[in-house]
Amino acid sequence: MWSTARRLTAAALKPRVSTTEPTPYSWINPAEAGPSNYAGRLSGKAIAIKENISYTLGPTSCSSDALQGYRPPFNATCVQSLLENGAHIVGQTKMDEFGMGSLTSHMPEHYTPVHNPSGPASDTGPRSAGGSSGGSAAAVAEGSCWAALGTDTGGSVRLPASYCGVVGLKPSYGMISRHGVVAYADSLDCVGILARDVDTVSSVFSTISHPDERDMTCATATTRQSAAALLAFHFPSLSPSSLKGLRIGLPIETHLPSPNVQLPPSLLEHLLSLGATLHAVSLPNLHLALPAYYVLASAEASSNLARYGGVWFGSEKEKEDSREGESGLERRRRMRTEGFGGEVKKRILAGTHALSADEFNNTYLKALHLRHLLRTDFSRLFRVPHPLDPNTFAPPRGIDLLLHPTATRTAPKLDASQRGDEESEYAQDLLTVPASLAGLPAMSVPAGKGEDGWPVGVSLVGQWGMEHVVLWAGQAVDRWDWKL
Amino acid sequence: MFCPTHTCRTCLKRLRPLHGTPTAAPARSTPQNRSYANGSGSAPSGSTSSASKSNDWQTVIGLEIHAQLRTGRKLFSKSPISHNAASNTLIDIHDAAFPGTLPVLDKEAVRLSLLTSLALNCTINPRSTFDRKHYFYHDIPASYQITQSYNPLAADGYLTLPPTPSPSTSSSSPSPFSSPASSSTAKRVRIKQLQIEQDTAKSQTVGGDVLVDLNRAGTGLMEIVTEPDMSSAEEAGAFVRRLQGLLRRIGSGDGDMEKGNLRIDANISVHRPNTPFGVRSEIKNLNSVRFLQTAIAYEIQRHIAHYESTSAPLPQETRQVNELTGETYALRTKEEAMDYRYMPDANLPALIYRPGTIEDLRAKLPEMPWVTVERLTGIYHGLEARDVETMIQLDEYQGRGVAYFEEMMRGLDAKKGKKAANWMTHEVLGQLGKAGREWDERVVSAKMLGEVVDKVEGGEMSGTTGKAVVRHLINTPGAAEGSDLDALLDQLGLKPAPAGDLKELCEKAITKCKKEAEMVRKGNEKVAMRLVGEVMKLSQGRADPKKAREIILQILQGV
Repeated sequence: MWSTARRLTAAALKPRVSTTEPTPYSWINPAEAGPSNYAGRLSGKAIAIKENISYTLGPTSCSSDALQGYRPPFNATCVQSLLENGAHIVGQTKMDEFGMGSLTSHMPEHYTPVHNPSGPASDTGPRSAGGSSGGSAAAVAEGSCWAALGTDTGGSVRLPASYCGVVGLKPSYGMISRHGVVAYADSLDCVGILARDVDTVSSVFSTISHPDERDMTCATATTRQSAAALLAFHFPSLSPSSLKGLRIGLPIETHLPSPNVQLPPSLLEHLLSLGATLHAVSLPNLHLALPAYYVLASAEASSNLARYGGVWFGSEKEKEDSREGESGLERRRRMRTEGFGGEVKKRILAGTHALSADEFNNTYLKALHLRHLLRTDFSRLFRVPHPLDPNTFAPPRGIDLLLHPTATRTAPKLDASQRGDEESEYAQDLLTVPASLAGLPAMSVPAGKGEDGWPVGVSLVGQWGMEHVVLWAGQAVDRWDWKL
Repeated sequence: MFCPTHTCRTCLKRLRPLHGTPTAAPARSTPQNRSYANGSGSAPSGSTSSASKSNDWQTVIGLEIHAQLRTGRKLFSKSPISHNAASNTLIDIHDAAFPGTLPVLDKEAVRLSLLTSLALNCTINPRSTFDRKHYFYHDIPASYQITQSYNPLAADGYLTLPPTPSPSTSSSSPSPFSSPASSSTAKRVRIKQLQIEQDTAKSQTVGGDVLVDLNRAGTGLMEIVTEPDMSSAEEAGAFVRRLQGLLRRIGSGDGDMEKGNLRIDANISVHRPNTPFGVRSEIKNLNSVRFLQTAIAYEIQRHIAHYESTSAPLPQETRQVNELTGETYALRTKEEAMDYRYMPDANLPALIYRPGTIEDLRAKLPEMPWVTVERLTGIYHGLEARDVETMIQLDEYQGRGVAYFEEMMRGLDAKKGKKAANWMTHEVLGQLGKAGREWDERVVSAKMLGEVVDKVEGGEMSGTTGKAVVRHLINTPGAAEGSDLDALLDQLGLKPAPAGDLKELCEKAITKCKKEAEMVRKGNEKVAMRLVGEVMKLSQGRADPKKAREIILQILQGV
């Protein structure tokens, strides 16, 4: 069924912009939208899901050889909510293996990397869609679905959204159930939403953001109510057409010299014209975010991925018998050696090292401490107290939102030889990782084009549970005409 | 910390004795009865002697105990647990570590663990957290076990051991329940910590294959770690028995070692007085008190033999006991120990309690069995620890046996406590036992038995009649319902014979037993009881023996 569907859809879909290579390569298994079993607010809407979100009707292989052909016996809670509200799951999208990467290029050899469809026609050589939810971002950008689910651990929804010129929301940690989302780093993983405009993102968000007793870290009804009460108290009259009273902070540490991406001055004027005020603020520990993130995410990944390579989930490779004379341990070693790609192995090793008895205090615990410092930086800025920690001091003249470029640059070339410095892949997460570590809602909204004609995005970051503030301001950004 | 598994993973391949076998294997002890039987007297005969015959060695023992939580379900999934189910039939996808599944903590497991911690006099950690312990083996599908390493549920408690008899005096069997206050040798074993964790799957090597049964995977355990406060196999055994009673009374565990629901690791070392502790060895997965004591005795001998024969350091090892020979053998040395890479589990929020929760739980703590023994033997003169233990064992979980006794005593003089206990444990239990039935407090109500005891002890009814009442209630279905003693005696025709009839019977007895009658007439009053016996026989037990004696004496002596 899938192979037929793939051929059909591949023939039917035209990329928005043709580059030197044929596209699209966003999909694992694009399916034709069939009739929905449910009526609902998403009735008939075509939604793609990232390949690490459990869906019984398709393989959920996380773009890894280790899970090729794995069919989950259950739907993720967020997928179930989409289905029950009438949405069509139109297929699954490619990703960096297990979410590890910023280019959607870390995949098994038989996968073609995802191409970014959003560049100027004149451009040469395919560019990356960003990662790790690059397949979802590209599928939205190329117009083959109405919205897509991604996952965001350190920027994996926002970075591709920025590179592909679409909207990408990473909600507060715990707003959308992770039940059924294959774990990369449990303390950071969030289900995110990609769409062409903020209204669509908002519609999907309100459908899949609800309590779930199958995920103990998912915000309870009580917690959501206290966040809603704070929202109503602090923003009684906020709407996309009036940002009167909204205090927007511009972190000086995110203001990087050219050729890094800058906030467009006309966007700032637009926000001022709607009644918002702008304030220079400081996140003094921002530079600690990236090293802390890579230690913590790798450590958690080394734990979460330890289950693969045994005999448990029924992928094609796992079904093979042990080879003659091979012990259980040797078989496991072979499965892991062959099943994981280079980037995944690199992070598993780094994470294992960080958790080893000799390193734990000096590496893992230090990273946890840095994370704490960064959270403190954020909590000192916001006017609204943290709903999960309402007794901490919140400055009355604090800010409501942070605004900064989502990425330091536009989409990089897919071909590494044309890119040069390999290190920069990690640095691409520089501006997205802080909100992940602090568990805050962050949304990348398109904000025009860079000098090379490729999209840039700006990020709005709010207090935990203040998605509506982020969405309202995002809608205002949506209505800004960047060509003016 | 140590691995919780039954069979021991990679190390299984390295099984080999590291030392020559010490000459004397400890003698086998006689199999013990129920765990309450003897607190400390029945250790392997070799055990104490090895330590005490050379007074210059002291033994240090600490225990790590895994007790399965009696919740009927798994700790982080809703799958039920059972010992009888076919392999791999009780599995939730979380137990099999399917990608995307998340742990959801069973609150009942936490409540039972908190109660256990409080009964062990522990301080409850106001914020405890869950961690992952990593290793690769077939019995752990996620390749990590969820446990509490950095912030355990509770810490710093103690359990008081039953008093140890001094070797010269004791012939009576000391009990794990008897009062520690009376003895200066009563000893506290400190509890280092109590934590909640997952059990592993069962794995079994058959031929060249490792077979895995996930039914046990994810079952909730309490790990209870003691300080190294025990100094003999007897003390270790007494500790375990007392803990079993505690778990059952709380209802948090069944303490069943045979089924593997209670498993013990023992850390043992020996040293000379006033010197630092020796190198310890850890004996894993001891599944009976007897093997625990055998293993300890063997290790003590092995360590002493090592120190007395060489100056080389004793290697720190993890060992296992061979259940056939009672000897221990090395599983792995310290150098081979794994790095478990403990890491906080971000999927499980910290355990924090609403104000008052812990106090409420503490208020609900049932009386511990050994406290019951102390209290009841204090109130009722002549009542022995053994009697109370029998009542406790009738229902270790709810304490219905003790409650029955106390209800019976509400209508009785405290002086009749011992007699009442005898009626309960000898008559009721004895007759139930003969009928092959379990104890049930409804068969002979506490009130009814209390009245029987009252009448018999007050001389208003013969013991034979009382026994007949009990027998009737046990053997007649529905007999107990709504009946009072009077109506029952009527119904059974067991009402005491009227005085007129009694005189007639006494005269008959005198005629029948002329020789005895003559003796009484001459003043030998003791013999009168033989005549009374005859009266009872003639009346088929209905006569009032006290009155019969009076009448006989009146006839024969004119008193």
